[in-house]
Order: sequence, then structure tokens, then C-alpha cells
Amino acid sequence: MDRAADREGVPAWARRFVAVYLAAFLVCGLLGFEAWPLTGWRLFADARQARQPGWQAVTVDGAGRETPVPFRVLPAGFQGDVQVLKGFPDLSPGERAAVCQAWADAVERRSGGRVAAVRVYRTETDVSHRVGERGAPPVRTLYWTCPQGGAGAPG
Amino acid sequence: MRRAETLLARLEGCVFAPGDPRRLAALRIGLSAILAVRLATGPYAELAGQPAALFRPISFLRLLDAMPPPGLVAVMQVLAVAAAVLAAAGAAARVTLPLAWAAAVPLIAMTSSLGKTAHNDVLLLLCLVPLLPAPTAEAWSPAARRRPAPGRWPAPAPGRWPAPAPASRRYGWPVRTVLVVVAGAYFFSGLAKLLHAGLAWVASGNLRWALYASSDAQPHPNPAALLVADRPWLAHLLAAATLLVELGFPLVLWRPRLAWLFVPAAVAFHAGIWMAMRLDYWPMASTVLVVMVDWPALADRLARRGAGGPAVAGAPSGERPASSAADRR
Repeated sequence: MDRAADREGVPAWARRFVAVYLAAFLVCGLLGFEAWPLTGWRLFADARQARQPGWQAVTVDGAGRETPVPFRVLPAGFQGDVQVLKGFPDLSPGERAAVCQAWADAVERRSGGRVAAVRVYRTETDVSHRVGERGAPPVRTLYWTCPQGGAGAPG
Repeated sequence: MRRAETLLARLEGCVFAPGDPRRLAALRIGLSAILAVRLATGPYAELAGQPAALFRPISFLRLLDAMPPPGLVAVMQVLAVAAAVLAAAGAAARVTLPLAWAAAVPLIAMTSSLGKTAHNDVLLLLCLVPLLPAPTAEAWSPAARRRPAPGRWPAPAPGRWPAPAPASRRYGWPVRTVLVVVAGAYFFSGLAKLLHAGLAWVASGNLRWALYASSDAQPHPNPAALLVADRPWLAHLLAAATLLVELGFPLVLWRPRLAWLFVPAAVAFHAGIWMAMRLDYWPMASTVLVVMVDWPALADRLARRGAGGPAVAGAPSGERPASSAADRR
């Protein structure tokens, strides 16, 4: 047994290691601090309301038809749509154009069709308002339009 | 001050109590196996192809402007899976387990770099940390089978495992640290709900609205989500049960028999989330199972039932064999 080990077989470094590790784990948990992989464990921590604000991204084809971007069937790298859209107002026009371009390219690769523009809507959904087994359609307000090859504009 | 010191000393005494080397080995096998499956089936190649404009890095990935390149990700994935499989098998676990963890962390960080922390692999990663420097392969490994310590562990009969090493504090602290992490994860999940939403998490329509929104976001209405969301009393009951299980989970550290209540409840909770919301928390549920079940005690019971007597080759006289009783203390 090495010299640093105490008489019961636990090395001194192990005691320090456990103390530091558990302290970091407990501090992150108690304070809700994120230092991934240490985390504040905020899983569904907020109370949801019936009226839920959200976002929707749609592509527009040459004939002006809108189709919601099918994020769920796009590759995994595109499935952070909820968070990307939530942060959309904080992006610069150039960053918004890059995001729209990424979505348009993915949709074109998948469908083979051409995307003329990407529109981003703010939505408000009242999930307590049910129509059969589905919620009533959200109320939408156009927030931003990204024309393909252009910088984009509000509304 | 003196009281705090006494409390700390008692806590230290609990964490550093003797433990069964097989229980530690079971953690190595189970957690490494979950990690291997998770890494082999994860969407890392797809994530590597993500356009840089969509990259929302977490933690140390903030050092990068985009996801790591596909070639590097493929190499890391192969390395991590191979190391995790070897660690599960107990082959050079002192090297392969840390290697698997180190290669897994950036890969799993990629899945949380879409804008939101994905918690489903976090518990697994955190539970592996105490195992990294621990003697995890001194039981249930090829080395333990080949080389029982001379004089301490009698050579096993052909086809039998050697008697396990005696219970020791060397094997106890990693297991107990992991138990604290699992209990803490659930407790802090419940605490975050109380701190951010208060009792409204149970008393308001919170769970109903969450389930309706989840069902509406799925391609087809989800019958399990609607079953609960359409019945306010059931939604309140499940919300209250969730909070009770999460906040009460640390009781298993004090009374291990309560694991019979909390572990099935936690697994059922994750299964329910998958059924209603299609959120995949199987790595978290299986981590809980691997950590909370006393596998050596189970193995002993099965072996006794199968052989009609003790399954191990014997234990040194005067020393208690590595028993689950010691580990449950």
C-alpha cells in the first residue's frame, strides 16, 4: 500500500477526489449552475401555461406556397430548431440569413424542389383549446423573411 | 462548528465504508456497456455534418466555431466504442475506461450543442467519473479470473470464479459516490421544479399543457399523452408522484431497501415519458438500474439456487467475504 494510503486502504488522493467531485456536483445541483457535464438538472422545471409562445419556420416555393420546415425528418444537426428559433431575435441579419440558408439547403436536398424564401413566424398556441385530438392552430405573426440569396427583412 | 465537523465525519464514514469488489465490477460492466451501446448508436456522424450557422456549443465545445469534422468524429466514435467494450469486459480497465470516457465526452457534448442540454446521457457520464481511478477490474474480469492473489483468494475449481476479494474501503467509495450522484440527480431535478415553478408544478395545469403540446408536436396524436392530459385529476396525481419520487430519492442512501420503491418508480417514470412524449431517457433509466441493484447479492442468490450451495470457491477464514451486507451498510 502506498504511503499516502491511510490505514484502512483509502489513498489520501481518493478522499480529496471524492470531496472535490461531490462538492462540484452538489453546488451545480443546488445553484442550478451549468458546467456540462455537471448540470443544474433543470428537467421540465418551468410550469407550462396553456397559452404557449413559440416559433415556426416555413419554406416558400416559387408559387408562393408555404410548407413548414420538416425538422423532425432532417438530419440530427437540424433538430435544435426550437432553440435556434427561440434565439432568432438575438441574431444579426447575417446570422439569420445563414440559418435560413442552412434550412433551405436541407429542404432542397430532401425534396429536390427549389426554395424561394424562408419565413419565420412568431406563434401563440392555446393548447387547452382542443379540436378533436389536436390543438387549435396557433395564431401566427410574420417576424422575418429570408429571400434566397438576400439578407432578409422584417415581416 | 463542532456539529458540522461531526456531520462531515459521519458522511465521510458512510462514503468510505467497505464495499464488495464485485459491486464495483458490476458498475464497470453495466455502465461501460450502456456507454458502448449509446456511442455505437448515437447520431454523431449526422451532427458532424451540421452547418456552422446552427451550431450552439455547450461547455468546452465553445472553443470551436462548428461541430468537429466528420473524419475526426468517426475516429473518436470507433475509439470510444472499442474502449468501452474492452472496459466492460474488464480488459486493461485502468486504461480503457478512462479512454472511453474521455472520447465519449466530446461526442456526447455534440448532442447538447443544438441549443439545449440533453440530460439523457449526463447521469451516465457523471456516474462513470468515480470509476475512472478506481480498481474496478479486481473482480469479474479476465485478470481477476487468471490471477487470484496468492494466499488470499483460493484458486477456484475449474469453471468457477475465484472467491472475491474481501470487502474493502478501496472498493466501497466509488460505489457510494455513484449512489450519491444518482440520488442527487433525481433530488436536484425535483428541487429545480420547486425553485422554478413552486407548487404550481403540481397544482396548475402544467403537466396537462406539457403533454398536450408534446402530443400536438408529434406526427400523430399520442394516446398516452392524451390519456393523462384529458384527465386533470390524473395529471395532478402523476405530477405529485413525480415530485415525490424525485425529492424522496435520496432516502435510498439512508434506507437501501427503499430502492425497491424508488428504482421501479424511476424506471416507470422514464418509460412513461417515452410513451407520452417520445423523449428517450433509456440511458438514464438503465444507469439507475445498474447502479441501484445489488448485483453481487443477486448473483449469489441465483448461484445458490442453481448449485444448492455457495457458488464461490470460498473466502479467507477470519475475513468476511465481500458481501452485499457490507455494501448495503
